[in-house]
Amino acid sequence: MTGSNPDRTAAWRRYLRFWRANPGGDVRDELTFHLESAVEELVANGMPVDEARAEAARRFGDVTRIKSALYTLSEQRERRMARHEWWHTIVQDLTYALRQLRKAPAFTVVAIATLALGIGATTSIFSVAYTVIMKPLPYAHADRIYTYSQRNGKGSMCCLPYGNFYTWQREASDFESMAATSGSRAFTLTGYGDPTPIRTRLATASYWRTMFIPPVLGRYFRDDEDREGGPKVAVLSYALWQNRFGGRKDIVNRAITLNGQPYTVVGVAAPEYVMQKPAEILWVPLAAPAWRFNDFADHELSVYGLLKSGVTPEAARRQLETIDTRLAHEHPHHAYDGGVIPMGIADAIVGSQKQIVYMLFAAVALVLLIGCGNIANLLLARGNARKAEVAVRGALGATRGRIVTQLFIESVVLGVAGGVAGLAVAEAGIRFLVTSPAALPRLADTRLSAPALLFAIALSIGCAVVFGLVPAIRAARVDLQQTLRDGGRESKGAARARLQRGLVISELSIAMVLLIGAGLFIRSSMQLASVPLGFDTSNLLAFDIVLPPARYDSSAKLEAAFTQIEQNIAAIPGVRSIGQTNTAPVRGWGTDWTAFREGSNGHDERSTDANMRGVSTDFFKTIGLPLLRGRAFTAADGKNSARVAIVSRGLAQALYGDTDPIGKLISNGSPDKPQWMEIVGVAGDMHASGPAQEPPHELYMPSAQWVNGARTILVRGNASVQTLMPSIRRAVASVDPLLAIVGAQTMDETVQQQFAYPNFLRWLLTLLGGTGLVLAAVGAYGVMAYLVSQRTHELGVRIALGATTGDVRGMIVRQGVQLGALGVIVGGALAYATTHFAASMVYGITPRDPITFAVVAAVLLIVVAVAAYVPARRATRIDPLEALRAN
Amino acid sequence: MGIDLLQGTLDLIVLKTLSWGPMHGFGIARWVQQTTGDVLQVEEGSLYPALYRMENRGWIKADWALTENGRRAKYYKLTAAGRKQLASELAAWAQMQRAIGRIVAAKPAKREPA
Repeated sequence: MTGSNPDRTAAWRRYLRFWRANPGGDVRDELTFHLESAVEELVANGMPVDEARAEAARRFGDVTRIKSALYTLSEQRERRMARHEWWHTIVQDLTYALRQLRKAPAFTVVAIATLALGIGATTSIFSVAYTVIMKPLPYAHADRIYTYSQRNGKGSMCCLPYGNFYTWQREASDFESMAATSGSRAFTLTGYGDPTPIRTRLATASYWRTMFIPPVLGRYFRDDEDREGGPKVAVLSYALWQNRFGGRKDIVNRAITLNGQPYTVVGVAAPEYVMQKPAEILWVPLAAPAWRFNDFADHELSVYGLLKSGVTPEAARRQLETIDTRLAHEHPHHAYDGGVIPMGIADAIVGSQKQIVYMLFAAVALVLLIGCGNIANLLLARGNARKAEVAVRGALGATRGRIVTQLFIESVVLGVAGGVAGLAVAEAGIRFLVTSPAALPRLADTRLSAPALLFAIALSIGCAVVFGLVPAIRAARVDLQQTLRDGGRESKGAARARLQRGLVISELSIAMVLLIGAGLFIRSSMQLASVPLGFDTSNLLAFDIVLPPARYDSSAKLEAAFTQIEQNIAAIPGVRSIGQTNTAPVRGWGTDWTAFREGSNGHDERSTDANMRGVSTDFFKTIGLPLLRGRAFTAADGKNSARVAIVSRGLAQALYGDTDPIGKLISNGSPDKPQWMEIVGVAGDMHASGPAQEPPHELYMPSAQWVNGARTILVRGNASVQTLMPSIRRAVASVDPLLAIVGAQTMDETVQQQFAYPNFLRWLLTLLGGTGLVLAAVGAYGVMAYLVSQRTHELGVRIALGATTGDVRGMIVRQGVQLGALGVIVGGALAYATTHFAASMVYGITPRDPITFAVVAAVLLIVVAVAAYVPARRATRIDPLEALRAN
Repeated sequence: MGIDLLQGTLDLIVLKTLSWGPMHGFGIARWVQQTTGDVLQVEEGSLYPALYRMENRGWIKADWALTENGRRAKYYKLTAAGRKQLASELAAWAQMQRAIGRIVAAKPAKREPA
């Protein structure tokens, strides 16, 4: 079957087949062979050539038809083979990639661990972002629900007066329904374990229609229950039902005792209604009293509206504004007409938290990017080590595209492995974030959901592109002959060094941005912690006592009981003084109300919002709030004495300017029915809503003249106040053994709680910034070590020629610092351009705080100097002779 | 007189032919003609689509090689799948043969008297 003289055409075609199959040529050759053989046979049997040709063709049949049939068949075959081959190649590349990675376990483990941490952290923050920001709200028509506030000069006033709301609800035809809720105060639940304060929201019956999610059990309130003097009903939150009532289904239609009065539980709300801690809350009907329908002054209600379908938010806003304008006309001294601001419910719920989530997301993504930079660096180094391997593959006929694909597939394998390991990290990260003090709505619902999985997959492949493509392309661009001649040893590394330097500068600049972010938060919380609250929090203990109205049904009884409690506690050794108030600063908000001087309509410059605090005589002394003018309250300021008040410095300034307020009259509530009080003193300002907020205006009244059944008792001790608690419990029990002491906490602890969320954010950003710094430092070290190893010979020459080790080390460190300086400049510029997004999140500094920028730059340069010093020291330890021989 | 071949029978004949060893298309055609003593008239051209189809199905495999005269020709040989196919077609053929044999040898059954 072998011959010595294959014809040329076929040989040439065979060569072509090496590159690509040629089915057309094959068919032609095959049929030609057949016909020629037939002719030869006939001629051998004695037939003349012409006749033989005709006979052969006749026997064969229709050549053209058969040829075309054969073409079609061979094309089908080629296509199937190409598909098969493609798969085969992928499988081959994957196998090869796995084998290569197994051969370099250290590299593989470091790369996968870096990716797992980076992808995991990014995926967990993505999951939070998805749940908190992107996931649709659970309400039936969330896209048509808006919250409404009134425009107030520069910003918006959170809440609306009852009068405006009820007029809107009655008249605004653009809405399917309108709802209102009022603040959250604590109702004391008794009869189920210790008396417990439960945060309670007052809501209109329409609230449940406007923002509908089916109840878990029973029903929501009805309109006939939402009226003055209507039946006392309550809806429990899911968590309250589960935790306090053991999830018992027979709770519906049973009575529970709230503030000493029976309330019938009508249902359990869907868990989705509670988006933030505390999850144990309850709702009771707003049941607005009749006088409230004409109250256009007290901004009290959060208002929600469900637009009719097809109505634009803009049209609805105009309708509400028209009503407001008319109301202002009808009630010229009360109603306010400054414009209406609608806000989509999703925006209203997430609010400013969105920025924090985005910031965290950016931070983890940047850490991941630095990690990718390091892996790219490692791959570049590996690419160099594998030059010989690549050159051999090239010499054996692999195209450059094929080699790039092969090397890139290694990166994809790394990326996917990192991604899979990252899912475990993400799951752990989510668990950690859910239990953290971060106050994000719906945070508790965060899961590693399908979108998060998709995100992780995309991220894995994205990372592979980021760190794998350039090294793969570079590695494939190998000068075959040169490399093979060198036996795979390094020839010229200049281009690679340039690329690596670029990578390190990028890493350092990203680390700079991260660290500046963290630095801003650190500086900001230092600023916050140094804000004097205006009163002394040390050795100050606070706890709440609620006297049940059923047994303490007169203000005389209430006042007598609290006085007795105060006297008993004051007698405890170690107690320096004791004070009472309806709500203590920082611990709880004051009762926000309008305060005004004579001649005010409740909206002019003679009036302002202020916290109302009923305080005992020793309150100021106990809390350490200085009296700037006048006097404190005394026992003489009793129930039947002349009504007196003390104002904070800010309130005095707002209402009386620079004139002395002592002796002036002030009132709270409605200008229609003023309750004039004579100002007897001016107290210092205090950051009652926490250090980040400006000190609110405060109006203090003697608790004997503004009696509250629920009070916070403040005890100032000589030393550690916590040891006093047992004695205090006995002292309270001796007055009424049924009374509960609730929420006992030192003021220092309370203030710390205020800082919990900002501290958590600061901690998280510091962690991320630190991780970024370490990764970038490792990258810088790697590159410096490489550069030094490239110059072993040169350094040997320098030392041989008399350079001291100090000179050489200094030179290398200087080069490292140059890299660092470039990173600082680029990163500083990036940070300068972007940190203004954080303006609303930092306190007491600008987002371009020069101190932060300077400190971070210094830290980064020092770290880079150290990263350069290590290889520099190693290099100068080599024997110069050894170094000279290195080439 | 020649007999026209059925498509399925052509496959069987080609597989059987190749079971003795690799052969090119012209060889197959000639061998079939000689063995059957020109009774089975294969229109030689129709052999090729059958070969290509069988190659696509993986029953036979083609390779270019040189003939005794030193010319390039496409040789076909049976694959493992092709051997299996041949076996099952032979079995089917035998079954068919027996069935047809019985039909051909059958005598009319006795009729019930009316």
